[in-house]
Amino acid sequence: MKDPLKFSWQPELQSSSLVVGWSVDAGKLGAKVTDYLNRKLGGQSFCEIEPVEFFTLGGVTIEDDLVQFPESKFYSCPGKNLVVFRSAPPSYEWYKFLTLILDTAEHYCHVKEIHTIGGMVSLSAHTAPRELLGTFNSPELKKALSHYNLAEGLDYETPPGQRPTLNSFLLWAAKRRNIPGVNLWVPIPFYLVAVGDPKAQRRVLEFFNQRFDLGIDFSDLDEEIRQQNQIIAEVRNGFPDIDESIRRLESNLRLSEEESQGLVKEIEKLLKEKTG
Amino acid sequence: MGIRLHKEPKLEKPDMIACWPGIGNIGVIAIDTLMGQIRAEELGEIEPWDFFYPRKVIIKAGVLEDLEFPSNKFYYKRLARKDLIFFIGEEQPTDGGRMYAEGRKAYQMANLVLDVAERFGCQRVYTSGAAVALTHHALKPRVWAVTSRDDLIKEVKSYDNTILMSEIEGRGDQGSITGLNGLLLGLAKKRGFESICLMGEIPDYLSGAPFPYPRASKSVLEVLTNFLGIEIDYGALDEMAVQIDDIIDSIYEKLPSEIRERIEQRKSIVQTKPEAITEADEKWIKEHIDELFKKGGKGDERPS
Repeated sequence: MKDPLKFSWQPELQSSSLVVGWSVDAGKLGAKVTDYLNRKLGGQSFCEIEPVEFFTLGGVTIEDDLVQFPESKFYSCPGKNLVVFRSAPPSYEWYKFLTLILDTAEHYCHVKEIHTIGGMVSLSAHTAPRELLGTFNSPELKKALSHYNLAEGLDYETPPGQRPTLNSFLLWAAKRRNIPGVNLWVPIPFYLVAVGDPKAQRRVLEFFNQRFDLGIDFSDLDEEIRQQNQIIAEVRNGFPDIDESIRRLESNLRLSEEESQGLVKEIEKLLKEKTG
Repeated sequence: MGIRLHKEPKLEKPDMIACWPGIGNIGVIAIDTLMGQIRAEELGEIEPWDFFYPRKVIIKAGVLEDLEFPSNKFYYKRLARKDLIFFIGEEQPTDGGRMYAEGRKAYQMANLVLDVAERFGCQRVYTSGAAVALTHHALKPRVWAVTSRDDLIKEVKSYDNTILMSEIEGRGDQGSITGLNGLLLGLAKKRGFESICLMGEIPDYLSGAPFPYPRASKSVLEVLTNFLGIEIDYGALDEMAVQIDDIIDSIYEKLPSEIRERIEQRKSIVQTKPEAITEADEKWIKEHIDELFKKGGKGDERPS
């Protein structure tokens, strides 16, 4: 069978870091953060994983009138010793897929550390600060990142009926190769899950900026955050029931299912209308 | 993709008994009971990550401690008459959420199991599962048998309560065994092993029930221990059967009387020509089984 790794060129990297983002998670956080990094740092694709074997290729999905096709690409950011992997999560052969990521990282990019990104649904309001949670595959990396203001004391076991994330599977596979790694999680307000949460993106990007000394100017992202906040503020002014729902979330109170659905519907509708 | 053996015991022409979960967990419960009784020891495992998505992550104080996968373990036991190797898979490897394995992954796993059989010099491989039958839950489940060779058919027929698939009324000489319990049988034949599948009868109206069917497991075990020439205590299985019988009875009482009457007729004619429940009956039972189960008043006692 054809080699599933397709290199267009090979970057020269030593002791680099790998950032992994998936196209499907809450707020599309992984995709948005990796896209932002590539845009700001001039990331250039140098390798991709062929989709056969890993994805259902019985047609294409359409999203916002655009054809979607599973892509799994590695990018190298010039002068930053940083590799970005952005991919749709595979539907089959997960371990083989993760092995390909790690093979590329280890043998071609000499990666010393892996960082994965994941958005998780939160019941908090958008006005609350975004926390950055870290789960590690080595106590040494946990210690090394202790001064980055990560929430890092999580105790967790997958509840019955659910299954671990692909990020956890990747971190476990990396541990088997003695590659230290951290999953970076940001809770995203449930009513921003479909439209995106620039404040959550900034939280992760700030970490990378500091960790890898990237020197990124976030003024564009700050403007996006300001616009989103402004639109939601206008919605609150125009719709007292929405304002009341958000106010209750701000007071750490739960909403009924009907109230939650109403909030999601109105916020998504207006944010999409006003931001295109 | 590999096998990890924890030890290399010297075994004398062992038989292998392999099983995966299926309807009523009939085979797995039978084999589990046998292994417990004879105190089989762990031999090794098939590395699961190539076959399964993990089912649990354990994180402590922010550090990933472990990732758990469905287990696929080998056990062994030296016995006076016949040494045994067991394989029990906790799940069948599937792509796309099907219940039973098929295709490349299933073929790979079945081959790995047989690699171990070959390594230890096994000549015979048993598998076990369920035979969905037009029977009644008050009747003792028979054991349907299929084999890979003509001479084994004679051996199979010599045991009590065993029936060949071709002898089942209305089936002709045709049949199939889905999933790995069937695939292993075929692959074993291809690789030159003797292979026998023992399937315990489960009534068609219980085939979708979310609980095990230990009465059939016991029937399978009775035949299997005959083959192997060993005796075991059925106390724990009988106890489980009594509990499950109570649950079944409470559900059965709630079936519409016309369905119940049709099923009741099987008590007298099951060995000759039983009448299948109608498609409508089957649909009704499938749609209501969970509801009936809940109303049975045993919800908290549901066995896992």
